[in-house]
Amino acid sequence: MNGDADEHDTPAEVDATVRTLRRVAVGYFVVFLVAIGGVPGLTLVLDWWSQGRLIGGMSPSFVMAAFGLYVFFFVIGLAAATLSTAVESRMLGGPDEDPTEEAEHQ
Amino acid sequence: MNTASLVVLVSLLIIVGGLALAIRPRGVSTLDFYLAGQRVGVATNASAICGDYFSAASFLGVAAAVYVSGLDGVWYATGFAAGFVPVLLFVATPLRRFGEFSIPDFLGRRLASDRVRLVAVGVVQLIILSYLVPQAVGSGITWQLLVGQGVGGLSPYVTGVIISTAAITGLVAFGGMRGTTWTQAVQFLLLLAALVWLAIAVLGSGFNYGTAVADLAAEPLVNPVNVDGQWELATTPNRLAAESPASFGEPGARYGGLGQFALIITLVMGTAGLPHVMNRYFTSPTGTAARMTTVWVLGLAGLFYALAVMLGTAARALIPTAVDEHPWLAELTVDGVLRVPEHALPVLGRIYGGEAGLGLVATGALIAVMSTIAGLLLASAASWGHDVYERHINPQATQRQAVWAGRAAVVVVSFASAGLALGLRPESLTALLPSIVATMVTWAFALAGSALTPVFILAIWWRRTTAAGAVAGMVVGALAAVAMFVAGAVIGDRGLGEMLMTPTIVAAPLAAAVTVLVSRRTQVPEDLELLWLKMHGTAADRHAMRLARLTIAGVDRQRKDRGTGDARR
Amino acid sequence: MRGGSLPLAAVLGATWGLVYLVTQVFADPPLGVGTTVVAGVILTLLLTLGYPSALRGPRVSRASRVSRLPRTRRGPSSGSTRTLAAVGRPMPLRSGLTADAARRTAQLLRPLLGGDAVAITDRERVLAFVGPGEDHHTVGDPPQTEATARVLAGGRTVVVRQRSKLACREPNCPLQSAVVAPLAIGKRIVGTLKVYRVYTDPPARDLVEGMAGILSLHLELAELDRERNLAADAKLDALRAQINPHFLFNILNTIASKARTDPEEARQLLLRLSDFFRYAVRQDGHFAEFGQEYFFVRTYLALEQARYGDRVRVKYDIDPQVLTAHVPVLTIQPLVENAVKHGLADKLEGGTVTLKARVDPLTRTTAIQVSDDGVGIPPAILDKITSGELGASVGVGLRNISERLETLFGERYRLDVQSTEDAGTVIDLRIPLR
Repeated sequence: MNGDADEHDTPAEVDATVRTLRRVAVGYFVVFLVAIGGVPGLTLVLDWWSQGRLIGGMSPSFVMAAFGLYVFFFVIGLAAATLSTAVESRMLGGPDEDPTEEAEHQ
Repeated sequence: MNTASLVVLVSLLIIVGGLALAIRPRGVSTLDFYLAGQRVGVATNASAICGDYFSAASFLGVAAAVYVSGLDGVWYATGFAAGFVPVLLFVATPLRRFGEFSIPDFLGRRLASDRVRLVAVGVVQLIILSYLVPQAVGSGITWQLLVGQGVGGLSPYVTGVIISTAAITGLVAFGGMRGTTWTQAVQFLLLLAALVWLAIAVLGSGFNYGTAVADLAAEPLVNPVNVDGQWELATTPNRLAAESPASFGEPGARYGGLGQFALIITLVMGTAGLPHVMNRYFTSPTGTAARMTTVWVLGLAGLFYALAVMLGTAARALIPTAVDEHPWLAELTVDGVLRVPEHALPVLGRIYGGEAGLGLVATGALIAVMSTIAGLLLASAASWGHDVYERHINPQATQRQAVWAGRAAVVVVSFASAGLALGLRPESLTALLPSIVATMVTWAFALAGSALTPVFILAIWWRRTTAAGAVAGMVVGALAAVAMFVAGAVIGDRGLGEMLMTPTIVAAPLAAAVTVLVSRRTQVPEDLELLWLKMHGTAADRHAMRLARLTIAGVDRQRKDRGTGDARR
Repeated sequence: MRGGSLPLAAVLGATWGLVYLVTQVFADPPLGVGTTVVAGVILTLLLTLGYPSALRGPRVSRASRVSRLPRTRRGPSSGSTRTLAAVGRPMPLRSGLTADAARRTAQLLRPLLGGDAVAITDRERVLAFVGPGEDHHTVGDPPQTEATARVLAGGRTVVVRQRSKLACREPNCPLQSAVVAPLAIGKRIVGTLKVYRVYTDPPARDLVEGMAGILSLHLELAELDRERNLAADAKLDALRAQINPHFLFNILNTIASKARTDPEEARQLLLRLSDFFRYAVRQDGHFAEFGQEYFFVRTYLALEQARYGDRVRVKYDIDPQVLTAHVPVLTIQPLVENAVKHGLADKLEGGTVTLKARVDPLTRTTAIQVSDDGVGIPPAILDKITSGELGASVGVGLRNISERLETLFGERYRLDVQSTEDAGTVIDLRIPLR
């Protein structure tokens, strides 16, 4: 094990990772934009969105705005974060080390 | 406050106290971070970010916006929470990996240019100032409600503004200049506790979210207007469907078609450019930790805002029925509807908890305000002291001199913000801009999102960004935002004016386009490769984690050896 | 992704738009929500289910599958372009079933199976025929019985009771009935075992099936042995190439010269070198995660970049999903090495080697492309590589890879080489997604 070794990345590796991560980020951002554009946008397009009643007097639009969207943000945030971290660990740095060590810290 | 509420409150405070003890700092290095357990550190940092981020606008302003405008007000909460998604996707990790201390510092070093740093400082100070003013307004309003009287012949509002500004300025300037992660995290927990208590109290008294919305939606939305010095209720027009009145559960009470989007986009883009929040990312030990911290922030923010929206709805539903039992409500309301919507949460607190409840909610509001003001003033001071004074005015400055420069800046900036807050009297503006605190905070977000965020994101993800491009982008973005905003204020907020008041949707792409165009014709920094590696490579992170892991393994082994040694004895 | 998810998404979007137009705009009064949703969902399901089939193309009949015509694609620029057919063209007799072995087996089995004549075929022709009728049922011809085709397609034993169904051209053929059983390796049908009788009641079906099962088992074992050998060969090949004195010598030289001017970099290179060898030696099993193969490739390229300096430039283009896909071990680095050694090393001003990796979840394919803008492969050598002659070292490496791929995936892979002299080479590898 290179315990006392310095870590190092070559420009090509970092470039590749940036390209891949950028793809991931833009992809998730587009999904995000569609959602936050769509929830108010559907009001203008779909009558049911603001007339329908889901919980008590709350229209689907209200349900999404009052809690649905927060859950959505958390979920895509978590998904994007785990994917980005996984991509980084596979594209930069050494081979996967001893599984017992990995288990310790994550 | 009845026994049940008191019990709930006490238990909440005990929980907060326990958490505060659990996350207390044992040290500041990466190693300590790992010894304390990675999850704890990330959660603490996330709480601190929330503490910085949730200001009076989040606490009072969101509920007020929901109170006044129904669904349109909910977009404030949505926008505030959503703002962290672009931060997580584009900013958090590279910012931390590059490792400077502030946004101007980061931009200056990334683009290898002092001019960029200076321009960024200018924009940052503008943003800080425009964020400070609504905080002062919020504290004035809270004082008005909490204490109800002024000091020395001044009106309660004025007193509130002056006292809270002076207090926090003194604390920040002379009390150590260290907004530690821990204090901010604990402040946030207290804030959350107050909100949770109020939510439990309201729900416990039989409030049903669904039926309340149903009841409210059944009638048109009415709000007080000042007609010739007399306050009376008037139906709010529906901007989406001109023939029918606005309704609580449906959009249109405040924004027309374009405005609905423009507001959300403004808030979403703005978070990434808020200096006091972004500065907190530098305290994460690694880039990956910064990323995970933002995930936690999204969770906490979601919880917070969901509660705030529910409480705003509750206020709308419950206050009219409470006027009879609580005579003190009479002077605050017009036919059961509050004149100043920011009173919604404190009033609820007083209804369900008496004076103590009012005190709790008001304290929560003041905590929110003061913690944000502290964060803002610190960011401002660091900026003046480090970026401007140390680098340009007096490069040979000693530590003491820099600190004094920072203190002077703090005092000047807070005076300016207090002055502006005094100039704006919320009651006069309520008719023009319902939920004034939230609206004013939106201006700060608009500026941040138009001038800083586009340049920020381009500098991080596009190699070819140059110093000249960044300067052009920031200047154009800021000017566009301000110009559109002033035009909107003149035109009035209907139709096009709405979009002008939340200009990010136009100004940000404009700034981005300008940055790209100018960058194409100018030179990139010389050691771009090294900068790029530093920002996006994980070498430093891996190194730090490996060291930490080895040290922990060493510590564990020592402990085991010592343990077996004892056992053998 | 050619023919991948993106066109499907576009088609689906367009379909819903169409549904909306038809039900809400053109219809008067507009149709209800329920109707619209049902129509849209049905169309979506049809498209999603039918799309992969559409991509695979019409089912090619078994017989004509062998003669795949070379596909010409336009090269990167004008000049002599030669595109190969897939190097991994299915070659007969690849499944361990040789004519010789088949003949000896058939002779052994004839007395045991209660029949008069025994034949063994692979998918395309008769390998052995022993017994009455062997004068006109000749080895090497395609099997005459249409029952054989059915068995190869369906994988189930067929009993033929009528002489007419035997479809023998020779009117004097004594054979009257037969049982045809499939020979399979795993799920793949690789041939048939046919037992004929000169009487009208056919041979015992269970007996023939049982024997076919035993033969199949033997074939499977032979294949496993071959696979293991090939994998070991691959490992040895890789080791041989890497422990190849030239490679090691050059790298150590580079490190030594840097040790004086830039000791930090020298140390890092040494670490990379040890990472490199550790990975090459450590491999067991046929597959590795793409992330790990990628690590191997970038380690290798980091070493080569240190040696060649600016003459070798590298570009990676990796899809996030491909990182966890499983690819055959030690397959990608040899391709990259070819690109550097034969493409770029001889070019004065150097060039760029590009590694592109994508997955298409819809067609379940992993696509890897190694391209360079080096000196290219002259058409003569390109021909040699296709035809399988042991020619330039490029050919050997590619052949080993294509052999392993054939063993692992049968026919379900593609390895294309496209090269233009002085302009560059592109190697395209498509394998099933795991």
